[in-house]
Formats: sequence, C-alpha cells, structure tokens
Amino acid sequence: MAEENSDKGFMDMLGDLGSYLMQPDVLLPGVVGGLLTGEAYGRLSDIGREARTGAEALAAQQMEQTQFRPFTVTTATGAGMGTQVTPEGGFETTMGLSPQEVALQNQLLGGAGGFFGQAVQPREAREQAIFERMRRAQRPEEERQRLALEERLAGQGRLGVSSAAYGGATPEMLAMATAQEEARNRAMLGAMQQAQAEQMQQAALGQQFLGAGYLPQQQLMAATQPSQQLAALQNQLQIQGAGLFGEATMSGLEAQLVAEQARANLLGQTGTGLLQGALTPSTTSTEAAIIKKILGG
Amino acid sequence: MAQQLQSINLVAPAFKGVNTEDSPLAQGPSFAEIADNAVIDKRGRIAARKGHTVVTTNKTVLGTDSLRAIKEYKDNAGNTKIFSVGNNKIMSGTTTLADETPGSYTISANNWKIVNFNDHLFFFQRGYEPLVYSNHAGVVEKMSTHAHATGVASTMYGHEVLAAYGRLWTADFSTNKSTIYWSDLLDGVAWSGGSSGNIDVSKVWPDGYDEIVALAAHNGLLIIFGKHSIIVYDGATSPASMTLSDTVAGIGCVNRDTVQYTGTDVLFLSHTGLKSFGRTIQEKSMPISSLSGNITKDIIAALQNETEFFRTVYSPEEGFYLLTFTGQDVTYCFDVRSTLENGSYRVTRWPSTKFTSFTRLENGTLYIGTSNGISTYTGYSDNGSGYRFKYYSPSLTFGDSSRVKILKKLKPTLVGANNATVFLKWAYNFETTYATAEFTVGNQITGFYGESEYTTVEFTAGQLTNARVLNTTGYGTSVQVGLESEINGFALSLQEINVMALIGKLL
Repeated sequence: MAEENSDKGFMDMLGDLGSYLMQPDVLLPGVVGGLLTGEAYGRLSDIGREARTGAEALAAQQMEQTQFRPFTVTTATGAGMGTQVTPEGGFETTMGLSPQEVALQNQLLGGAGGFFGQAVQPREAREQAIFERMRRAQRPEEERQRLALEERLAGQGRLGVSSAAYGGATPEMLAMATAQEEARNRAMLGAMQQAQAEQMQQAALGQQFLGAGYLPQQQLMAATQPSQQLAALQNQLQIQGAGLFGEATMSGLEAQLVAEQARANLLGQTGTGLLQGALTPSTTSTEAAIIKKILGG
Repeated sequence: MAQQLQSINLVAPAFKGVNTEDSPLAQGPSFAEIADNAVIDKRGRIAARKGHTVVTTNKTVLGTDSLRAIKEYKDNAGNTKIFSVGNNKIMSGTTTLADETPGSYTISANNWKIVNFNDHLFFFQRGYEPLVYSNHAGVVEKMSTHAHATGVASTMYGHEVLAAYGRLWTADFSTNKSTIYWSDLLDGVAWSGGSSGNIDVSKVWPDGYDEIVALAAHNGLLIIFGKHSIIVYDGATSPASMTLSDTVAGIGCVNRDTVQYTGTDVLFLSHTGLKSFGRTIQEKSMPISSLSGNITKDIIAALQNETEFFRTVYSPEEGFYLLTFTGQDVTYCFDVRSTLENGSYRVTRWPSTKFTSFTRLENGTLYIGTSNGISTYTGYSDNGSGYRFKYYSPSLTFGDSSRVKILKKLKPTLVGANNATVFLKWAYNFETTYATAEFTVGNQITGFYGESEYTTVEFTAGQLTNARVLNTTGYGTSVQVGLESEINGFALSLQEINVMALIGKLL
C-alpha cells in the first residue's frame, strides 16, 4: 500500500509529464530506445574488460617467451662455464677448470704467495746473507794483500809500528784497512741494493705468478665470449619474437575492440534515436511544451 | 977490549897507549904496558892527565853520595842551568846543589838519563815517571803534571831516552824490552795522539831475541842497540814510515850510557869492547877490529866485574872518550884523534879517580861528578891532591931477544913536571920487581936564565924540559922501563927515554 502510495506519489509529482510518458506512442519507443542504449552501454563495458584480459594474457605469454634460457660453455682445455636460473629467479654462473689447469693455477698462485711472502720479509737477514757472500768472495784477496803487506812490513822491520797518526798502525796498514773498509762499505751498500732489488723482483714475480694464476680463468672467460654473444643474440631474437607476437596479438585485440565498439555505438545510436523520437512531440501542446521545457527546448 | 955502549932511543914512548893484548916481546916501545893517569898529549907524547877542581861548595843535598849524572839545560833563549842527580835527589846548580826533586816524588835509584829537547830537560829512569824541567815552568815536575802532557803512562817509563828527529824516543821498560815509544812531533810530553807512536822490534832482531839497551841517532838513522845485536832504521824523521835499513848480529851495547857521538860516528861499548857504529855497519858482525882492541881482555874483565854504572863522555876539546866503570873506580881514556894500524884507539887508564859522572858543556868545559859535587876537568891535581902518573914500557928486547942487555944509563926527557919527584924504574926478564932511581925535577921557572924577572910573557922560554941521566944496574934479555911521578899542580909529558946499554953474549 505504501508502494502504491509511493508510485502514485511519484506520478503525482511528475504531474503532466507522467501522463505524457504514459502515452503508448511515447512509452514503447522510449522503452525500446532505453533498452538498446542500456545494451550498448553494457557492451562497451564488456569490450574494455575483454581487452584487459587479453592484454594480460598476452603479457604473461610474452614473459614466458622472453625468459632467460641457460646455457653452458666447455673449452678445448676442459674448462667449463654454466649458467642457470635459481628458483628465486636469479642467475647463477658456475665456472670450472680442468684438473691440469687447476693444478697449474694452484702452483702459480702458490708461487705468487711464496714470492709475495718473501717480498714482505724484513731485508736485514737477506742483506746480511748477501753481504757475507760478497765478503766471502773478497776475503781471499784481502788475505793475500794482508799477507803481502805483512811480509813487506816484516821485511822493512815495521810489523810492530803503531802510530797515532794512522790509527795505531802504519800508513800502509791504514791505507789497506781503509781500502778494505771501503770494500766492506761497498759490499754492504751493494748488499742493501741487491736485497732491495731482490725484494722488488720477488714482488714482480709474485705479481706475474698471480696474473698467470688467473690466466686459465681469463682464458675460460674469453672462451665464453662467443657463447655469450650467441646467447645475447638468442635473447634478442626472443625479445623481438615476443614483441612481434605481442604486436600481432594486440592488433587482433584492437580489431576486435574496434568492432565491438562499433556494434555498441550502433546499438547506442539506435537506442538514442528511439528515445529521441519518443521524446520529441509532434504538436504544440501543453505536454510538448512541458517536455520541451524538460528537455531544455 | 971494552964494548961500546949502544944508545937505544925510545922516542915518544907509549904514544900508542896501552897494549895488553899483544905479546910484550912483539911490541915496540911505542906501546905501554901501563899508562895510568895518562893521556896522549897534543904532540903525541904520553903525559899526565889533567886533574879536576871541585866547583861545588855546598853539597848538603848530596850528602855522602856521589853525583851519578850531570846535564846542562839550555833553551833557545840562551837560558842555562846545570842539573845533577845523586842521593836519590834531583839537584841544580854548581856551587850550591839545590834540591829540585818534585814534591811527593820518591826516588830510590840514581841511574837517570837526562836529555835536552825543545827547551825542556827530560829525566828518564826505568820504573819512574819521567821528570821535566823547562825555564817557563821553572821547576822540575812530573811529566804528567806538565802542561799539555798526554799519554804519560807507566808503560812508557823507559830507561833509555833519545832526543832526535824532532821527538823524544824511549825504550827499555820494566816489562817490555822490545818496544820503542816516540812522542808527538816537537812535544816531549805528548805520548798519545798527534804523530806519536811506537814500534815493537821483537820480530826484527837478527838472531831471534834481544833486548833494547840504547838508542842513537846518526845520519838520519835510528840505531837501536840490543844487548848483542843492532838494528838500524832509515827515515826516522817520519817514524811511522821508517824502514829497516840494516841489522848487525853478534854486536850489541852493554849500557845506554856508553853511547857517545863524535860528530862523524857513534861510539858504544859492546861486550867485546869499544865499537864504532860506522865501522860496525861496514864490517857487520865480523869482529875484525875494535876501538879497544889493545885492551880487549881488560875491558871484558871490567865489564864482567862491573856492579854499578857505566859513565862516558866525549870531549872533542880533549880529544878523548872516557869510559868509567864506577863500581871498579877505573876510567879508560880513549884518544879519538886517530886510530892505530889495527884500528884501535890509543888508550890509557885512569885508576881511582872517584869519577862517577861526566858532562860536556856547550862551551867545551868538561864537568865531572864526584862525591864532592861538580868539578871541572882542569889543572893538574885532583882538587888539590896529587895523583900518580905511571908509565911502564913493555918488555923490550931491542930487536934481539937472544942477547943479554946490560943497562948502564937511562936518560929520560921530561916536559913540564915542575918540582915533581920522578921515579924511574926498570926490571929484567919479565920480572915485576923493579929497580928504582928517584930524582926531583925541581922548581923550574919559565923565565929566561931561570930568573923570575923574565917570566913575563915577552920573555918566557916556553915549555920546560928536563933531561936527566940515571945510572942503572942489572942485566937481562928483556928490559922493562917505567916512570912514575906524583902529579900535583904541574903537567908532565914524557918526551923520550934514551937507554944506554951494552949488548952482551948470546944465551
């Protein structure tokens, strides 16, 4: 009762308009036009939804098409490199050398360690060792000279001479001692320089061994370059293929979307026409004036 | 028929000095068997030596001891001072002996060697710190306390010291007999630093081992005398570079105080007598000759018997080298003016002189040290006391030892001997019991006619001579003639002895 009251109240509120709408030549086209328009509106919504779904499906398919494809490289010397995708989606690269290369690498890296170890050792012991070696070479001649001087001094009756002016010896003994001390000093400086040179040499050798130790690995890396280029090319092709696939798929979707849009537009235009015809009065009347007034005419 | 007397003239008897080495029969009258208190005078005659006159009037410091060394200090400014040692003291002065011994310096031996060097006087004795005197210091002081002294240590308290080639050299230490130390140049108190140094010659001795006794410098050489060898270094002006020049084995020096310089040579006493360095170097160790070759055995005996000091002096003015064995109180006088055919010096003997030290001053004065202090070698008495001049010839055969000689007269010719009593002696056949004839020369005046009013210079008659004729007795195949006289105030020379003898039968 309440609804009746209510409907009645709405029509009452529309007044004359309601009466107008209730006219058969108005009511039927109006209802059909309204339905067609509503159908067009609904179809447009479906078109958008289908386009999105198709695009998402396309993206998923392209993702699969462009996914990284693991590959492995094996060199002529037996070294190898492999790639794989982890379950987490990351990339993992593994490299392995042949047993001979591993042995050589171990030897070289061990040698480098040895050389570097020697290079960082204090030089004093080595200087002393070099100095002693030089002095060992010098001592026999010095001894010969000393004996010759001793004999000469003995012949001159001067073995026992000690003069404060010559450091408690004879001029000849001082000269010889000076010469020997100079030789010792030169040997000492030479030993220091030699030790330094050796230290630098150890460091350089360590550097060389270190570099050589990584040479198999470098060679492996170098050997993977063509494979990596091929993989990159494949990847590029995958991407291009996926792109083409996507473009083609998107073209179909767009064509479908345009057709559906045109159908919807057609329905809409039909509905619109029906509505417009229904709502356009054919005479001047109070009702028409009202409708015109409602429609803004 | 009476046989004619033969005159055998012994001209200038004993002018070759004493000879105790050769057989008396092989000697001529030019040698003497005994020549005591004698010298060879300027005319080659045997004569009485000079005496000595004591200069010292106050010898309280010396006490009863004798002077053991005398030395004249002289510096470049002309300052002079006489130093002497004795009674364990260092003394100065001549008339009054003043004690110059440094305070707190104890001396118990008097065998010092004293040398002048660069305005300083240095005293060295084994085991004692050397002493130094200089005019600027004005006192004798220990070397270590002297200004600028360095390196003065007991190791260089030597017994021998030599001033030569701008340095002091010392050797003969208490425990080291082979090392010589030399001072810095021109600095006798600097024994460390500078150009001071030392040399150990223990490996240089020609016969393996010796001990340094004395040092000498001659002709740019450093002469190192061992006891029985000599080593010579050349270039001692630069001691660090000096080199062995020569060595002589078998001849050494017995005592540092026997070394004397004669200007052209170095004299030293070896175990076999007086030697000349120059000749020793020429002859090496070959004992060809000795400057004391005529008394070798006597010298060796004296050397072996000596218990005290050897003291020597060379006097160019007197022309002799005196060698005194103080323990035996005998002095040998070597006439250095020339050598004999065998290379020996003419030598005489001075017994019982009590001489204990000598030094020759720059002016030529010869100072003699005795228990009376300092004396000068002058006059003809030993400080107012006489001394006995003795001459004895060798046993003479006059060329024929198989015939008997019967002496009839002896006619000695004496020069001087004023107022002297002379004893003429003779003996036969090597006997030592002499017959004696005595005579007094008498008081002679050197004026014309024997008158004193003619004794002034323009009227003096020069040297006095006295010739006597003395009758003799006895006979024998060999004859020894002697002459003795007490010398007390006047000189005496024996010019000749004329022997008047009969030559008897063959035995």
